Amino acid sequence: MNASISTDARGHSGPQGPRPGADGRRVVITGLGVVTSIGIGVEAFTAGLREGRSGVKPITAFDTTGFAHANGCEVTDFEPGRWITRQHPEELGRASQFSVAAARMAVEDAGLTAADVRSRRSLVSVGTTDGESRDLDQLVAVGMETGPEEYDPGVARRVPASRLSVGIVRELGLEDVEAVTIPTACAAGNYAVGYGYDALRSGDVDIALCGGADAACRKTFTGFYRLGTVAPEVCRPFDKDREGILTGEGAGILLMESLDSAVARGARIYAEVLGYGLACDALHPVAPDRDSIARTMEIAHRNAGVTPDRIDFVSAHGTGTKANDITEAGAIRQVFGADAMPRTVSIKSMIGHSMGAASAVAAAACALAITEGFIPPTINHRETDPECALDCVPNKAVEAELNIVQNNALAFGGNNAVLILGAYRSAA
Amino acid sequence: MTNASVTNGLDAARKQEIKEIVCDILEIDEDEVTETSLFKEEHDADSLRAIEILAALERTQKVTIDQAELSRMVNLEGVYVVVAEAAQH
Repeated sequence: MNASISTDARGHSGPQGPRPGADGRRVVITGLGVVTSIGIGVEAFTAGLREGRSGVKPITAFDTTGFAHANGCEVTDFEPGRWITRQHPEELGRASQFSVAAARMAVEDAGLTAADVRSRRSLVSVGTTDGESRDLDQLVAVGMETGPEEYDPGVARRVPASRLSVGIVRELGLEDVEAVTIPTACAAGNYAVGYGYDALRSGDVDIALCGGADAACRKTFTGFYRLGTVAPEVCRPFDKDREGILTGEGAGILLMESLDSAVARGARIYAEVLGYGLACDALHPVAPDRDSIARTMEIAHRNAGVTPDRIDFVSAHGTGTKANDITEAGAIRQVFGADAMPRTVSIKSMIGHSMGAASAVAAAACALAITEGFIPPTINHRETDPECALDCVPNKAVEAELNIVQNNALAFGGNNAVLILGAYRSAA
Repeated sequence: MTNASVTNGLDAARKQEIKEIVCDILEIDEDEVTETSLFKEEHDADSLRAIEILAALERTQKVTIDQAELSRMVNLEGVYVVVAEAAQH
């Protein structure tokens, strides 16, 4: 499956101004909704990225007794009732609350109303790693202590991962809509955006709300902790003394539409989606594979119709583990050449690893970087690992005019997805 | 201190218990493994299996094992030593 599927077969041709060699409608991002540990909403998130804000703090989502260290990047100032108005927030698990809130923000940010979205053919696709595992944690605890008869029915009803996308549909009252939750773990955000790109490009839908959401949970923290990959204090991607990830949470939802539609309504355009690449290698449960990551980037470049030398910066998967950073940097070197590596940053240094939300939030960061003209920093950086040997824009954002940016997402199982965004500059 | 003197702290029953745990995780029969046969090279273990063994030992043997010890836990003999040392702490 890749971005160049069957547009001709669906009979759509001749849209206004396709890129050379590309079929189908051009797709742009016109609205952003973000829930992160360094800021909720576009304004706060942009300021956080520019300042290099850190979202790290001691975990409060669950009892951390018994763990030698337990820092994370939780969202602590989230008020669901502010965004979720057509449903009772408590009917939704925390991840769904994040996705619904981010979708509301994205619609508003695009200058649209729920009725505007409702009147068009739409797609809602939300990526996730854990779904509502936070609720599952609680149900399991109750089951262990007393038994399944004590399960809270309200909590049990929130568990299906489909609720992450269906919650958005219910909130906006959408009718002519496809809703999917895409469970491709830590690459799921890019998958969901790519799926929206395909649906818009082919003309199947006219508006798409796509991204990812996850809530901090004990299961995931414990799993990463047991693998020895959770950093004791902070996340330092590409640093020679990096010690691992910090688990995080949040959501990023992108409102996308065709370029024609955006231009016709005079919308502010953050960026154009140029294409994406997927390549699942299934080589190892957790170890990333350099060649496979390189292949995913090459597929993305080909689908987007760009050459490596045109990439202005890479938003890396950049988890801050020994294995990820060295393997990802090696793959970038392989594709771009040792002398031509673009600046490569990890916003996980600021917001931790928000799992299925990570690449969606990073895609939003890329779109904002293009619009605002800066490259977000990799914070907590002291000395670059010579084995990574790249410019990670240490600690301070840099101003830059950006044309094309690349957003990497690498998941367990070798499930990789790379998204390419470009600046849209009107002919006028 | 030799391996033998360290593992003296583990009686035969405890060694047998550890062996069963390891064989269960590696999905092999007990007669396939010796004290010196290598988990990775001879029994197809990978890093995740190694962590699974470590976690199971912590749980069942009521010890805490630093992940750095994984480099010594390459066969049953190594596991016995690490568990015995951890039990002394």
